[in-house]
Amino acid sequence: MSTSPAVVMPSSEPIALDTAVIKSWKAPIAFGIFTVIAFLMFVLNARPGETTFRLSTERDAVQLPEVVVNSATTGWVVFLALVLITAASALAVISRRKVSIWLTVLFALLFMIGFLAWAAAGSSLPVTGLLFGSVSLAVPLIFGALGGVISERGGVVNIAIEGQLLAGAFTSAVVATSTGSLVLGVLAALVAGVLVGMVLAVFAIKYLVDQVIVGVVLNVLVTGLTSFLFSQVLAPNAAMLNTPPRFPRLEIPLLSDIPIIGPVLFKQTVIVYVMYIAVAAVAYALYKTKWGLRLRAVGEHPKAADTVGIKVNATRFWNVALAGAIAGIGGSFFTLGSVGAFNKEMTAGAGFIALAAVIFGQWDPIKATLAALLFGFATNLQNVLGIIGSPVPSEFMLMLPYVVTIFAVAGLVGVSRAPAADGKPYIK
Amino acid sequence: MVSDAGGFDDKSFNQLGYEGMVKAADELGVEYKKVQSDAETDYAPNLTNLVDQGCNTIVTVGFALAAAAGESAAANPDIEYVSIDDVVDQDFDGKTDQPNIKPIIFDTAQAAFLAGYAAADFSKTGVVGTFGGMNFPTVSIFMDGFAQGVQYYNTAKGKDVKVLGWDTAAQDGSFTGGFEANDGARQIAQGLIDQNVDVLLPVGGPIYQSAAAAIRDSGKEIALIGVDADVFETDPSVGDLLLTSIRKAIDVGTYDAILAAGNGEFDATPFVGTLENEGVGLASFHDFESKVNPSLQGELDEIKAGIIDGSIPVTSYLAG
Repeated sequence: MSTSPAVVMPSSEPIALDTAVIKSWKAPIAFGIFTVIAFLMFVLNARPGETTFRLSTERDAVQLPEVVVNSATTGWVVFLALVLITAASALAVISRRKVSIWLTVLFALLFMIGFLAWAAAGSSLPVTGLLFGSVSLAVPLIFGALGGVISERGGVVNIAIEGQLLAGAFTSAVVATSTGSLVLGVLAALVAGVLVGMVLAVFAIKYLVDQVIVGVVLNVLVTGLTSFLFSQVLAPNAAMLNTPPRFPRLEIPLLSDIPIIGPVLFKQTVIVYVMYIAVAAVAYALYKTKWGLRLRAVGEHPKAADTVGIKVNATRFWNVALAGAIAGIGGSFFTLGSVGAFNKEMTAGAGFIALAAVIFGQWDPIKATLAALLFGFATNLQNVLGIIGSPVPSEFMLMLPYVVTIFAVAGLVGVSRAPAADGKPYIK
Repeated sequence: MVSDAGGFDDKSFNQLGYEGMVKAADELGVEYKKVQSDAETDYAPNLTNLVDQGCNTIVTVGFALAAAAGESAAANPDIEYVSIDDVVDQDFDGKTDQPNIKPIIFDTAQAAFLAGYAAADFSKTGVVGTFGGMNFPTVSIFMDGFAQGVQYYNTAKGKDVKVLGWDTAAQDGSFTGGFEANDGARQIAQGLIDQNVDVLLPVGGPIYQSAAAAIRDSGKEIALIGVDADVFETDPSVGDLLLTSIRKAIDVGTYDAILAAGNGEFDATPFVGTLENEGVGLASFHDFESKVNPSLQGELDEIKAGIIDGSIPVTSYLAG
């Protein structure tokens, strides 16, 4: 190789290694905008009354006292704190230091407390209920996002997450009803996800069809197929085919007794525990194992991977199938983990949100999980505020999860760099 | 007949309309066709299809199809249209836009009023809740009537039962943003349960299934109120949770309209279902018969009489 004249040799000039800090005003500007919003809402439009934060439910082991705060006072305090953080971030930029991620987290947390105290003035807010629902809503997104991360790290764009979720939801409902077994239901969802993944893989890898187009077509195909089968087969025979058992909530001893975190994370169903394991396993395997290294290699630089003897297309094929399996399990959450019966188009765009979480999470399993959790939180926040009667119109509240996602992607994350060979078929 | 996105097997208004049509068509001995719309973009093409196939009466189901139905009716003045759930008044002059459209609409607020009264009477925690699919008039009319019924109960009995999920003054409330029975709807129901609600009224196609799942998860004794059909009969799997159902006799209205059209007696005067003509009503308590106050049915009958003779006012966009 190195004898080939076409290969550019590394230049003999010394490479400058000093890390240049780029002066970016993005963080202070974003903080500033939100501080102004906070001023307009919490201070100028302060709402009278007290806000009660309920930190535990009557069934929790450790009973925490309710926190009662005055809405207007909290608004002022939060606003002043936000001003301080904005100033601190501006100072950091001027003195050419990086704005710490913890400052951003603190800012977001304070803003959220201020917002909740403002929106829920005069009522009581179940904090555990809010967080519990957030995790629950994020479950299919996280499974979908893990599938997306694996597939795209391997270089195949996976738009078909929605189809994989829907196929998983459908088959798990049918199989769990007809066999009466939850485990078989989940396995069926896994198989359905793999099948959708394999169709994607065959067309994208073997026949070199544009991956985005195959993905979109698969979504439409699965939607049409499941809707057709639902109307023609499931609806008339609902008792035989569409009344699956549901996973019971399983409390993990000791862990579920931790205040706040316990009831939120450890009183969920088995699928949610499987998700915790899946996130940890993918995050570990992607960076620490041979499998992960090979997967990343075929996604970043397939030619280099090929030269060291990795079968690029086979690696891609099986990993797209694996991604389908994970997304398929996520699909079973819609039925077995949540509502029970399958409904037409019940995923309602979750696959696309999962895809957004992949990109927003910079193709990293942990960050994608956090992105999905953020979306779940925003969705459930909108639910809870709708119930206690928020001052914001319901149509606007329904946009909240998407607004939050856009702001988070644009304002806080910055550049997302896809795996270099993502979406490009490998032809020897 | 053109459905909206719920499809003809929604155990709710599309299905009821379809059943009414089939019954009428069988009696008349005429052919019928059904087309399902899966998205808003399907409405107009589906209508055009039916026109092209030579249908002489077209039924559109749902508020969402109104605009498409209005356009199609204007383009085909010879065809008779029956619009379920909307008056097809796109220019907002208070009248149906085309002379060949017969609207079949329901003042469900009247029946929801009764349900609200019953819910308030049944509630032990003193909090009842509702949520809807989207803030459409045909959805919110249930929630509004329900809240008014609870209000009436409070005034009559000197109690203070709260309604969560609907704000009468703002005409706004808690919505899932769609008509899928998914985890979002379950979480809203869960949120209401967290607020100590013990009677739930989910309005919109299959979303009651999500509410039922949330109720079973909570392990508490919470009653569910069905909408459109008597859900106890259409979906026995949630029968043990159902306090009652708010019925809309879409099947009867459609049946009558098609029969009239088939016999050449089509007239475009709107059919408004009320308690009086039994176009709307409250289903029986079924399994809850023994759990409600023995005097409740009697009180409800009195209120029903009061609503019919106008002594108890129920406001809605149809009653003015």
